Amino acid sequence: MTSTSKVEHFQPELGEQTTPTQDKDQVHRVLLGKKQILVTEDEPLLIQLERAGIHVEYQCREGYCSSCSIKLLWGQVSYPFEPLAWVQSGYLLACCAIVKSDIEIAFFD
Amino acid sequence: MSYSTFNRKHFDSMKEPMFFGENVNVARYDQQKHPIFEKLIEKQLSFFWRPEEVDLSTDRKDFQRLEEHEQHIFLSNLKYQTLLDSVQGRSPNVALLPIVSLPELETWIETWSFSETIHSRSYTHIIRNIVNDPTKIFDDIVNNEEITKRADSVSKYYDRLIEMVNLYNTMGLGTFHVPGKGDVEISMHALKKALYLTVASVNVLEAIRFYVSFACSFAFAERTLMEGNAKIIKLIARDEALHLTGTQHMLNLMASGKDDPEMAIIAAECKDEIRHIFIEAAEQEKEWASYLFKDGSMIGLNAQILGQYVEYISNVRMQAVGLDTHFETKHNPIPWINAWLVSDNVQVAPQEAEISSYLVGQIDNDLDESDFDDFDL
Repeated sequence: MTSTSKVEHFQPELGEQTTPTQDKDQVHRVLLGKKQILVTEDEPLLIQLERAGIHVEYQCREGYCSSCSIKLLWGQVSYPFEPLAWVQSGYLLACCAIVKSDIEIAFFD
Repeated sequence: MSYSTFNRKHFDSMKEPMFFGENVNVARYDQQKHPIFEKLIEKQLSFFWRPEEVDLSTDRKDFQRLEEHEQHIFLSNLKYQTLLDSVQGRSPNVALLPIVSLPELETWIETWSFSETIHSRSYTHIIRNIVNDPTKIFDDIVNNEEITKRADSVSKYYDRLIEMVNLYNTMGLGTFHVPGKGDVEISMHALKKALYLTVASVNVLEAIRFYVSFACSFAFAERTLMEGNAKIIKLIARDEALHLTGTQHMLNLMASGKDDPEMAIIAAECKDEIRHIFIEAAEQEKEWASYLFKDGSMIGLNAQILGQYVEYISNVRMQAVGLDTHFETKHNPIPWINAWLVSDNVQVAPQEAEISSYLVGQIDNDLDESDFDDFDL
């Protein structure tokens, strides 16, 4: 899952506040402070945040180290496979979480 | 109650708590109370590696070219790592095996501890390759005051638990007079508390102390120095990430009360003490950073930056076990460390060494003629 090959999807300019017109089921908004990032369900959140220029802590990138644990304030994510790391309630593991609705995330308090 | 290597009682191991229930009898894994530990075992086994796979001939030349204060940083860091893995290669076994009650957790503890012995062997591999007299380095681990101070803080919770469990196994519950120590109270509550504090201090060791040492190892490699060493540390870091997930699961399972309701009460009681263990360890690591860089810093890392990293990583780890963060530093001052810590690019060239996470003998037997339908000859 950490393959370096990128699949390009149609995506409005990152960081820009655009309402998705197409593919409404697929594109979701991720709110992070005052930033807004558009993500798809095709890839985990981490790689999409990185592409948007947001630095997220990581190590294993496959769900066992919990370095990329981020606060999930609201919204839904799902995991294609259950991560080995303990995911606390109210948090998500960015490396393997697929965003399923608009969500709001936060790093530290 | 004394420990039995094969408990003859009939009981349902699915109803036992993780610790302080019945001694394990049949090592069976077809049913598991906490399947996570079986998954951790499988992952750890897939990580298997040997230090000799990594060639260190360039490191020897690099080391000789380092400035004196840089050699001090490198060697002190290596001594510290050796100390940590000396403790971790035996202590989970000695402290936890006599009190564990679930077969999958028992085997996880053994697998975990075994992987630490690989780390210890790799420090010998590194030291033998870069200096002519390894004895000088190893002897200093028990002589050097800065190192022995750390030894105290990483072993004291283990030692206390081991002492209490020894008393419990020979004398049972009660208050006993131990020469030189006075009266020691052995109650189930006191035993479980000692256990909880031990697991927390191990989590601190793996989640904070190790990472501080990794930062130093990788700082050399960032300057394309001591790269063989960095390769080994990368393999160690991959293992440690898994181990700390193991202790985080133990702590969270205990605190949730799902495993043993009494543990949840103890976890709540110990919250301040655990917080204190994290903060104290972070302060010790900052002191250690000043010792490392006492004669001068190196490009990319100095006592101040390493200290900030200590604060940052401590915040991250405290949050992971449900504690409030304590330090001001909310951003990673050395973001380049992630590129070194990332496990998927541990060893990229197959001819060079083992590919990480490569499962030996993985053959798909579930083939059907229809699988060849899209084949054209």
